[in-house]
Amino acid sequence: MTERTSRRRGFLSVPGLWPFLLVSALALGIVLDGVIGGDQLQSANPEAARAAEMAAALDALPDGALVLVAMDPDLGTYPEIRGTVRAVLDDLLGRGARLALVSFTAEGRAVAAAELQRLRAAGVDPGRLFDLGFVAGAEAGLVLSVTDLRPAAGTAPASFAAVAGGIAAFDLALVVGGVDIGPRTWAEQVTPRLPDLPIAAVVPTFLHPEVAPYLRTGQLVALLGTFRDDAAYLLAVGAPSGVRDATSSPGELPMLLGLLIALAFIGRAVASHRPGLGTAAAREPEEPA
Amino acid sequence: MRRSVPATVVVVVGLLLLVNYIVINPLLAGAAEAVLRLVVVLAAGAALAGGVALVHRHGGDLLRGRGDRLGSAVLLAGLAAVPIAGLYPGSQGVADPAVRWLVGALLAPLIASLFAMLFVFLLLAMREGMAIRSRQVTVMLLAAGVVIVLLLPLGGQIGASLATAADWAMAVPIGGVFRGLLIGVAVVTAVHAARVLLVVEGADD
Repeated sequence: MTERTSRRRGFLSVPGLWPFLLVSALALGIVLDGVIGGDQLQSANPEAARAAEMAAALDALPDGALVLVAMDPDLGTYPEIRGTVRAVLDDLLGRGARLALVSFTAEGRAVAAAELQRLRAAGVDPGRLFDLGFVAGAEAGLVLSVTDLRPAAGTAPASFAAVAGGIAAFDLALVVGGVDIGPRTWAEQVTPRLPDLPIAAVVPTFLHPEVAPYLRTGQLVALLGTFRDDAAYLLAVGAPSGVRDATSSPGELPMLLGLLIALAFIGRAVASHRPGLGTAAAREPEEPA
Repeated sequence: MRRSVPATVVVVVGLLLLVNYIVINPLLAGAAEAVLRLVVVLAAGAALAGGVALVHRHGGDLLRGRGDRLGSAVLLAGLAAVPIAGLYPGSQGVADPAVRWLVGALLAPLIASLFAMLFVFLLLAMREGMAIRSRQVTVMLLAAGVVIVLLLPLGGQIGASLATAADWAMAVPIGGVFRGLLIGVAVVTAVHAARVLLVVEGADD
């Protein structure tokens, strides 16, 4: 019995076993996502208020609305909101809006270039899709853009250049936020100068606590800031083409597996902790085995 | 009362932008816009200087054979690749297919992979943290455990309850702590700015 226990312990302590099992479990979850699950798994928020607010903000736009899409997400966290951003862009185009993409960060510009390419490849009318490029200077550049935002000469139709002198010319600003420039920057720098401009935002979950107060004060007309709200919005409008394959948001099953693995680690770590042993400062780390 | 040049510049520029924020005056607006354009140029200059310093440091390491030479070579190659792809004759700049490939096929997956590995690194850090028997780590892990339970993507009544609790946690305790931190930072910043503007001794140290 002791020998069997010892053998089992020996197997469990094989170097690299646990990371291998972890990655294998996640890979299995990704493979089986959609096969197993059904109604038992759901990532969409049953409280669909945030999704409804976004839909209402888009409903309020006039025909042929001119929408400024400020693409400033971080490359690292953009995968979390990519599906939602694409769904909102598709929703806007489906409503007949004209989109102008601009970036105030270098990372945002890289993402904007990729999204523009995707939309052009999807056959979006070039007359409804404008590239305003990268505006240097971060917040200073944003403030200058309030009165002076135009594409480089020859890069946009004359009809667009005629109306887009600055951010004030737009019917809605859709801010795709990141660490450097996001809805907070817009609420601080643009809203006081253009109080009538409606601003909607899509941000990754980690920015939600920072941005949520601006929704309550009305400085944002809509905010999608958690994966549950994103999923609820996708459920309401339908996922855009291509979102549920290679560019998919995380599926429910791999997400569940990852969370359970993390929970197991935490439970094991906390259970092995004996209370009353003092603080980190008073105790030396254990010697590695 | 002697003041440093940077502090004087900060006071003048800060007052100009503040007054322009409040008072509608074409002359003030023009001056503020000129200052903002200078800030943009300054930021571009700083970025350029950073790039030059990086090349100087790693180029020097490479030439003198010190430090991580392979790392320096990779860094310099990467640093050169993007401007070459974006500036070669006939290039479309940031929209050029070569730049888009560099970003889409190399940079974005690399950064996303680093973020994805946070999951594994956090688990390892958690184990190391518990090894030092710290109460703070225990509290942190318990809080993380609660958040994870709230985020479980379950359907039905249990899922609805978890989602409601998660919304409450995000809006009340997490949001409250976060806003408290932001307000604290804003208050300290405002006090420091006021000290600089009011020429309080030592404020510009």
